[in-house]
Amino acid sequence: MIITEKKDRKHLLEKIKEYNSFFLLGCSECASLCGTGGEPELVEMKELLESEGKKVTGTFVAKTGCQVLGTKVEIKKNFKSEADEAECILVMSCGAGTQSAVDIYKDKPVYPTNDSLFLGNMTRMQIFDERCSLCGECILEQTGGICPVTACPKGILNGPCGGTNEGKCEVSPDVDCAWTRIYNRLKAINRLDDMKEISKPKNWSAHKKPMTLNVREKKEEGKK
Amino acid sequence: MSFKEALNSGKFTVTAEAGPPKGTDIKKIVHECELLKGKVDAVNVTDNQSAVMRISSTSFCKIILDMGLEPILQMTCRDRNRIGLQSDLLGASILGIKNVLCMTGDHPNAGDHKEAKTVYDIESAQLLRVVDGLNNGKDMMGNDLQGATDFFQGAVVTPEANPIEPQLMKFEKKIDAGANFFQTQAIYDIDKFKEFMSHARKFPVKVLAGLVLLKSAGMANFMNKFVPGINVPAELIGELKEAGKEKALDAGIDIMARHIKQLKDENICDGVHIMAIGAEDKVPEIMERAGLL
Repeated sequence: MIITEKKDRKHLLEKIKEYNSFFLLGCSECASLCGTGGEPELVEMKELLESEGKKVTGTFVAKTGCQVLGTKVEIKKNFKSEADEAECILVMSCGAGTQSAVDIYKDKPVYPTNDSLFLGNMTRMQIFDERCSLCGECILEQTGGICPVTACPKGILNGPCGGTNEGKCEVSPDVDCAWTRIYNRLKAINRLDDMKEISKPKNWSAHKKPMTLNVREKKEEGKK
Repeated sequence: MSFKEALNSGKFTVTAEAGPPKGTDIKKIVHECELLKGKVDAVNVTDNQSAVMRISSTSFCKIILDMGLEPILQMTCRDRNRIGLQSDLLGASILGIKNVLCMTGDHPNAGDHKEAKTVYDIESAQLLRVVDGLNNGKDMMGNDLQGATDFFQGAVVTPEANPIEPQLMKFEKKIDAGANFFQTQAIYDIDKFKEFMSHARKFPVKVLAGLVLLKSAGMANFMNKFVPGINVPAELIGELKEAGKEKALDAGIDIMARHIKQLKDENICDGVHIMAIGAEDKVPEIMERAGLL
C-alpha cells in the first residue's frame, strides 16, 4: 500500500490561509490504515480548520481515492453541492488520490494534507516498511526474494559494499545490510550460486516516468 | 617503471593517497605530493572521499601526472550514471591517466551534501566490466569506440569484513570482471591478513595491503567503533597509549613501518597502500623506517 504521513499542520495552514471554505476528501484504503485519511483524521482536520475560523462544507472518505472515475461518481452522487460550495479541496490520502481530485475539479485548487512516502508492507498494525521500489523489472528471483534495489540504500546488485558491518549498513546501524540478508537467505535455501554470477547493470528504462499501462488495449491486441 | 610494470615485475610496490581539497587552493597538497616523487610507485587520488565534495579526482590526477607522479584515479559510482562514468573514463584516458580504481563509493549520508540524489546506476563490479569494455574498444551498449582506452584497473576489498563470505564472493566477482590489482581496507592484524592472502593467492591478481597511519589511541578506538572492517588490536592501541600524546604519531609511524617490513620480508602480499590521512608529509619517513628508501 501507499504509505503516507501527515504534513506539518502549521505549514499546511500557512499554505491554505487564503481560502475560507474546504471540502475534505479522505480514502478508505491505504490512508485509513496509515491514520492519515480515514474518518477520525477527517474529523480532526475539520475541528482544526474550524478552530482557525474556516468553514468545512463537507467531508467524505472515498472508497479508493486513486480510482478517478469511481471517486468522481461517489462525490457527484452524494456530495456534489458540498464539494461545489468549497473554495478548496483538501485531499487526505496520497499523491495519487490528490491528483484524482485534480482531475475531478479542474477549476478548483486542490491541496494535499499528507506526504506520500513509499510503497509499504504492513508488518504489524500501522508499522510499515519499504520492500519494493516499483522499478519496472523484478529481479527477486536472483536475490532470494529480497530486493536489493529497495533494501540497500545504494541499490547495488553484486553483493555488499565496503560499508557493510556485522550485518548492518554504513548508512545507519538501524538498517540491516541487504546483501548480508540476501546472502543468509540464499545460503538457507541452498542457492548461493545465484550470487556468484555478476549481475548485469539494471535496465532503468523499464521504469520510464511517467508510466502508463492499458490492460484493456493489451487484451484486445492479444485477441487479434 | 610504471605502476603496472612495477607490480608485474614482482617489485614490492608502494602507493600513497592524496585527497584533493575543497576549494581551488592546492598549494599544500601539491607540496605533499612533491615529497612523494621518486619514492612511491603511484598515488591514489580520491573521488570526493567520504562523500565530501572536493576537487574532481580526474583534475587532480592530471596535476600530479604533470608533476611526474603516476596517478591512480579513484572512481566511484555514487555521483555519475553510466553515461557520466564512461565519458569521464574516456576523458581521463586522453589526459594520460593509466590506472583506475573502481569503487561503489561512500553513501552521501556520510558526507557534507546529505540531501544529494544518490546515483549508483552501476556498482564496483559492473564498473570494472565497463573499464574492460572500454579497453576493448566497446562502450557498455557494445557500440564501437573511436579509439580504445588502455587502463590498468583495480578494486578494493575488506579482508576483515564481517561476515567474510559475501565479501570474498564479491572479491571473486571483481576478479571475473577484470580487476588486476586490489588495494585493501586498512589492516592491522598481520596474521589475520595472512589468512586472507592465502585465499587471495589462488587468483591471478596483485594485492596491496591498505595501511592507515595511526595518530593516536583515540583515533584507533574511533575507527574500531565506526569504520566497517577495521580492527585495530588492543596491543597496538596500548603502544600508542604508552607513547603518550606527543609521541603517539611517532609510535604510529613505527607500527606502520614494522608492518610494511613484515609484509615485504615475509612476501605476504605484493605491496602496500599507505593512507596517511592528513599526515602525507610523513610518508617518506614511514618508508625510510620500513627500509624501503
